Amino acid sequence: MRAWRSVLTVLALLQGISGLEAQQGPSGLTKPVVLPLFDPAKQRCNLPTDLGKVLAFAQDNERKFMQGVARGLQLAADDRGLEYRRAQAANDPARMVEQVRGFLEAKVGALVVAPVDPLSLAPALQQIIWSGAYVGTVVPPPATTILNAPQYLTGKVLGDEAARYIKTRLNGKARVVLLTHDSLQFLAPRFTAIRDSLKSVPGAVIVADISPLTVDEAGGASMMRTILLANPDIDVVLGADTVVLGALAALREAGKARDSQFFGGIDGEPAAVEEIKRGGPYKASVSLASPIFGYAMGQLAADWLEGKSIPQAMDILPKALTLQNLAQYEIDTTHPASVYRDARRRDEYLKMYGNICYDTRDQYLNFPWSSERR
Amino acid sequence: MPISSRFVIGSSIMLLAIGFVTLLGIVGSTAWLGEKSNSYFEQSNRSRALRVSAVELRSALQSAESSQRGYLVGGNEIYLAPYDAAKAEARTQLDRLKQLLPPSAQNQTVLDRVSRVVTEKLAEMDRTIALKSDLQESQASAVFRSNRGKALMDEANLFLSSIIRQADDRLETLLNEQRRNATLLRLATIIGGLVIVLVVGGATATVFRYAWEISRARNELNVLNQTLEERVVRRTAQLAEARDRAELLVAEVNHRVANSLSLVASLVRLQSNLITDQSSKEALKETEARILAVASVHKRLYSGDDARYVDLQEYLSSVLDNVEASMRGQGHVASLRYELEPLKLKTDSSINIGVIVTEWVTNAFKYAYPDKPGEVRVRLRRLAHGKAELSVEDDGVGRADGPAKGTGLGTRIVNAMARSIGGDVEYVAAGSGTVARLAFSAVLEG
Repeated sequence: MRAWRSVLTVLALLQGISGLEAQQGPSGLTKPVVLPLFDPAKQRCNLPTDLGKVLAFAQDNERKFMQGVARGLQLAADDRGLEYRRAQAANDPARMVEQVRGFLEAKVGALVVAPVDPLSLAPALQQIIWSGAYVGTVVPPPATTILNAPQYLTGKVLGDEAARYIKTRLNGKARVVLLTHDSLQFLAPRFTAIRDSLKSVPGAVIVADISPLTVDEAGGASMMRTILLANPDIDVVLGADTVVLGALAALREAGKARDSQFFGGIDGEPAAVEEIKRGGPYKASVSLASPIFGYAMGQLAADWLEGKSIPQAMDILPKALTLQNLAQYEIDTTHPASVYRDARRRDEYLKMYGNICYDTRDQYLNFPWSSERR
Repeated sequence: MPISSRFVIGSSIMLLAIGFVTLLGIVGSTAWLGEKSNSYFEQSNRSRALRVSAVELRSALQSAESSQRGYLVGGNEIYLAPYDAAKAEARTQLDRLKQLLPPSAQNQTVLDRVSRVVTEKLAEMDRTIALKSDLQESQASAVFRSNRGKALMDEANLFLSSIIRQADDRLETLLNEQRRNATLLRLATIIGGLVIVLVVGGATATVFRYAWEISRARNELNVLNQTLEERVVRRTAQLAEARDRAELLVAEVNHRVANSLSLVASLVRLQSNLITDQSSKEALKETEARILAVASVHKRLYSGDDARYVDLQEYLSSVLDNVEASMRGQGHVASLRYELEPLKLKTDSSINIGVIVTEWVTNAFKYAYPDKPGEVRVRLRRLAHGKAELSVEDDGVGRADGPAKGTGLGTRIVNAMARSIGGDVEYVAAGSGTVARLAFSAVLEG
């Protein structure tokens, strides 16, 4: 409930901002709707005019996750004969706005963006939409196609994996550390799902449910050192891969890391994957296959420019990487095109909702969409 | 197997000792477990106080934060009403926490962090409230949005939850210990009770069994006594019957012996009647007298009650009467007078004395008064020291020193008979006559 209250607040702010600027086009769907599943047989639209066959990527930073998106987009652009441009904002909101406005002026036909600050970026994105270009965003609106991860499901996949381990390997008893992410409120359902999964194991006690000051390895390590002062013996650590990796480093430093522990993260960070391969305490990482959804977004951008109807929203489905399925996952993320072409394999990673095309672009999503909203 | 009184006493002492030791065990374990319970109770109180302090500190911080946020959002100072009280309570509980947390390096580090976090949290709240009061809304909002307050609260919660959880764990451990103690106490009491019941049961069973065995022995004894009496009565009857048969047989034998001796005496008498030689005739007469004397004893025996003993007074009277009659039949004129004290003697001895007195009286008749009448006196009397004396006295011619009158057979018979009964014979001159004395033992033997 609290998360949705925050979402509505963001929505209200967006509306306020758009109201302040001179309105040059429709505001899109501002009230949350539940989208039907994507219909690939939907009628074609007119082709966008006066736009270049260019696929641009406005990237927030150089984290591995985003590097995967960039690689997927690059592959799709190559496959569909689009020019690929990339701009990295280094976590600077103003710079990103500037970069996006540059793409607008360059009349790029398609833009994929991972916003640093959704609020400040939204007007520029709306202008690109109004220009008839494809806008795909990684999570926040506005966008013709919003890419989102079902946050609750993502957390549930990790929570269930941890609960199964506690039941089968730790005799149903464990002291659990949950490293949350206070600065990104839309991630809150992840942690709600993890807490819900752990409720199925009465012997699992969450001894710490806390957000590191910075969501990176140093933040995770620092927080774990503090947690160890209060709780010297820990069995399970869950959170984003980066902070969990930091926590693991702190435990190793304190000499309290054991192979029987369960460290599980979200994001499928390469360092986490390496830890899983070593067979130590790091047991799972819930991955959102960024090259695959990056590739898909690139394909959808090309379809848009060809007048095809494309999904309004897309879920990247979470996958718990373990020692058992890691090899196949690496093959899939290395070759996202083959996954995209194989409908069965594609459905394991992606789920698409709604339909939109150049002619119906006024129906773009201008609210924080989530497939988990009911 | 029957039990002895020694076993009963031994087993009773042993059972009492076991019961006593068991009782001591119950009392000892109760005291020990009670002491442990007291210790657990004190530790539980301390853990509970620590938990309460941590919970109250967390609650006070939450109240203060709630108050602060209400003021920041609404701008109404009414929200600040509980703020100061909550802050004061937080400081009080922090001090209590410092006192109650067991001293250790780890706990000291935790306390330092909690103190720092609480102080910083209170300062952050004070600062935002002050900014709001000074109408510096944007700065207050910036501090609020920095999430520092939440991070501090989360950190405080991390440590306080840990303290609460440790207190809970400790309380649970103590509770389990107390449960275990209670179980031990119950077990000790039950086992002790069972042992005491078994001891009492064992002692009771032993006593009952002993009493039952005594009762059974008494009953068996009674039965045996009853049987024994019956057997004694039956045996006595059998013995009496056997005795009667024996007495009848003895009487019959004596009767036959007496008759046979009488027959022999008659044959001797017939023989003497046919013999003309005077000396032979007299010899046969003496023999007849001797046989009759013996026969007389047997007559007494079969007519008496007891064949073992003979009433000498009665027996000798009969013998003397026969001798006197026989002497008178042969023409002797002396008279016979006798004084016999009552005296019983064994049958064999009585026969010997009968033969001796026959010899002596016959001799007195024949030799003391050869040609004139006189008196022969026979006396039987008791002497001192279990002795008796038989004497035959006459006032006749006396015993001359010359050759013995008669064949001398009589004297040899007397001597032989006297010797066989251990008697002493003496012949004493008394006046003109002679006194023949036989001293013998008058003790009834056997």
